[in-house]
This record gives sequence, structure tokens and C-alpha cells, in this order.
Amino acid sequence: MPKPEYVYVIYIDAPCEKVFDALIDPEMNKEYWGRHCNLSDWKTGSRWQHADYDDRSKVVVTGTVIESDRPHRLVLSWARPESLGDPDKTSRVTFSIDEQFGSTRLTVVHDELDTEMLRAISGGWPPILSSLKTLLETGESLPMTRRRWKSGN
Amino acid sequence: MSKPEFIYVTYIETTAEKLWHALTDGEFTARYWFGARLRSDWKVGSSFEMVRSDGTVSDAGKVVECDPPRRLAYTFINLSDKYKNEFPALATFVLEPYGKLVKLTLTQEGFVEGGKFYAGISKGWPAILSSLKSILETGTPLEIPFEALKMND
Repeated sequence: MPKPEYVYVIYIDAPCEKVFDALIDPEMNKEYWGRHCNLSDWKTGSRWQHADYDDRSKVVVTGTVIESDRPHRLVLSWARPESLGDPDKTSRVTFSIDEQFGSTRLTVVHDELDTEMLRAISGGWPPILSSLKTLLETGESLPMTRRRWKSGN
Repeated sequence: MSKPEFIYVTYIETTAEKLWHALTDGEFTARYWFGARLRSDWKVGSSFEMVRSDGTVSDAGKVVECDPPRRLAYTFINLSDKYKNEFPALATFVLEPYGKLVKLTLTQEGFVEGGKFYAGISKGWPAILSSLKSILETGTPLEIPFEALKMND
């Protein structure tokens, strides 16, 4: 049976570059991703980490930068730190960013999921991506996404 | 094998009353919904139509549930020949206030297996709901022309 896949598409009134940079800039991440941030040198093959902004030793998700092609494509492997290296518990996130008649379409495909991670990310991506859009369009993110969430993700 | 079902969740900085108005007032929908004016008296069992700017009807169905400002459900099918062997599918909007935000969950179900309508609405809703979020939060909708959705057909 194929592993589940999650897809979310959102259109944002901002250039592709700004959308791409907002995904990898810790100062922006913390505003819309529950006070967490994404850390890496963002070169293909490098390690990346999703960590608490204020205590970066608290890593909640980690993986490898599979592809990094600013501003159109970013592909990451995605696992809990304790599951790193376990293919059954490693999923993949593909961010595709393209211009569509003056707006930017961001497509997030999160696939190769196990059921526990599917449940976690299905509740996570809509508020995170809704808030990213609000941040880029209004200059301020949605307040509830500036705080840490109980799940720590 | 489960039948296809489309689910989209977005968080909008607005009130449930304003969001309800945005979903049911034809003059307002014309500003963010690819120019479509929704036409209905919103009584259960009444007709529901999407009216293009030239006055022709693109999609039609019936109101199934109307409980302002919490739940709205209607069926519709696009009237073009492309979908002539398919039936109206049920779209349900659930509005849940969440502090200063409203969580909007759209579910559409009841598609013919192997039909094309599911693929059509899967492209349309993210653009419509992204534009809805923009107009409520910034006052300006996204300028996504309808043609943008046909590019990858």
C-alpha cells in the first residue's frame, strides 16, 4: 500500500523570492511557525534542522536538503531526530514556488508519510501556511502562530 | 478504495459574521471569486448558481444547509460539456472562531469515481480561498484570472 501524501496549495501576493526566503529565514520562521525556525546552509546534501528559535538545541524535525533551487524549489527529507536514518519514519517535503499571473503559487507536497506524522502535519501545515501568507501580505503574522504549540512542532 | 474528497483548511483574520457575508453575498464574491457572483436566497432546497460577469451561469446546484454564521452547504456542478456525465458534489463550509481568527474548513464530496470534476475543483478552491483570505485581511483580492487554472490541464 502506498504511503500517504499530503498536498496544500496557497496563492500569495509576494514575489517568488520572498516566499522562498521566508521558508528558510529564522527571523521570519519564528513569526509564523510557532516560535520555531529552520536552520541549514541550504546546500544540496546538507543537514537541516527545525528547532526552537530561543533554544536551538531543541530540534524537533531534521533531515537532508535534497534539492535547493531558489526561488522555485526546495526539497527536504523530514524526520524526528530520534528517527533519523529510519526510512520508515522519514518523509519528504517538496516546496514548489511559481508565478501565476502576478501572484505566487506555493505548493507543499508532504509525502512518504507514516500515519503518526500524517496526523501531526495535517493539523500543522494549514495554520503555518495561512500565517506565512498573512505575514507576507500584511507585514504581521497570525498571532496564534507566533507562540510555541504544545506538540512542539 | 475510498471516493475522492477535497478538504481545505485556512485561518483568516476576520470575524465569523464577515466571513459568512463574504461567502454568501454575490456582490462581494464577484470581487474575489474569478468574477463569479453567487446567486441564491440561501434557503434549504433553493437553487444555487455561480453567475459570470456576462450574466451566464457557470455552475449550479441546491442549498443543503444554511446556519449562519457557522455552517453552509450546497451542491454544485460546472455546466460545461466537460462534466456532462457527472453530478453536483456537496460543498460544506464550517466556520469556527479561534480568538481573533476564524478557521474555515471546506469539504467537498460526492464525486463520480473517475470523473473530471474533482480535479477541476481541486485547482479552483485554493485560488478562490487564497483570494478570499487576502480580501478580508488586506482589502485587496488576488488578481488570479480563471485562465491560470487551465494551464496544467
